[in-house]
Amino acid sequence: MNMAVEEAIPRAVGEGKSPSTIRFWHNSNTIVLGCFQSAKLEVNMDACKETGTEIVRRFTGGGAVYHDSGNLNYGISLRKDHPLVPGQNLQSVFEKLSEGSVQGLRKLGVKAEFQPVNDIQIDGKKVSGAAGSIRWNTVFHHGCILVNSDLSILEKVLNVPKAKLEDRHVASVQKRVTTVRDELGRDVSTREVRDAIVDGIQSCYGVGVESGVLTKEELGLAEELYQTKYSRLEWNLEP
Amino acid sequence: MERWADYKALGGKLVRVRLREEQGQIRSIRITGDFFLVPEESLGKLEKMLEDAPLREGELRLLVNRFFRGTGAQGLGVSSDDFVKAILSAKEV
Repeated sequence: MNMAVEEAIPRAVGEGKSPSTIRFWHNSNTIVLGCFQSAKLEVNMDACKETGTEIVRRFTGGGAVYHDSGNLNYGISLRKDHPLVPGQNLQSVFEKLSEGSVQGLRKLGVKAEFQPVNDIQIDGKKVSGAAGSIRWNTVFHHGCILVNSDLSILEKVLNVPKAKLEDRHVASVQKRVTTVRDELGRDVSTREVRDAIVDGIQSCYGVGVESGVLTKEELGLAEELYQTKYSRLEWNLEP
Repeated sequence: MERWADYKALGGKLVRVRLREEQGQIRSIRITGDFFLVPEESLGKLEKMLEDAPLREGELRLLVNRFFRGTGAQGLGVSSDDFVKAILSAKEV
């Protein structure tokens, strides 16, 4: 259902039915594939069965990510004409809309930096990946932050192609990714990171953030999208 | 004949090509990977345009360039040149 909500909000924002929104959310053990990825090539199905990991697909491009309860996800939906939208260039969108998260992570005490195309890194290790799209009259940007995720499961369930690792001169996923917990050297909750990112967004963009819940329309649309798309194997596992 | 390639684009993303070739022409092709392409639905159009195309650089380049011009699609982490090179690098399985 989370993937359906992820699509429902930018649609509602684009239609003027919802205000500009940042949504924070969690998944239990789940692989989220990019919309162009092959489940067969990217996912270790046996390891998913062993670890009880679900496989779903989002509507945006980019690479597969592993979610668990130690992972903080966020999605930003802005109408195309919103003053924070840096234009219709996806690279500029990723850079601009990652700034709030970068600032938030820095407030916690880590040296986070945006790394094109779509990563946030700490000392050369990826701590967050972003994806997004420009459609439905909306600029949409979402990302996942590894707060205290179990990286050992991540390495089991994702088939990372050799070409990706060779390029970065590292031998494993675990050596090229990190968590906020590991970088801070202390326990940190997803709530603490969320609050830091909200602070980062407010100070970085000069906007206010008010908490709220999904509207009736967003929920209705999400339910419809779930039934017709996101609950279906042909969407999640094909091609 | 089945051919496939995992091609690392200059922009850092992976383009994975699986195609069926007959007599030097693409009969069917599936392009997957971790790149970005907006609008997302346009990838299906590109695959459709490549069906029955000769596996030759000049023709492929024309087709892929025509796809980007015609659809106004925006790639990130991957370029038209990367799609062409990925297809041409597909080796027999």
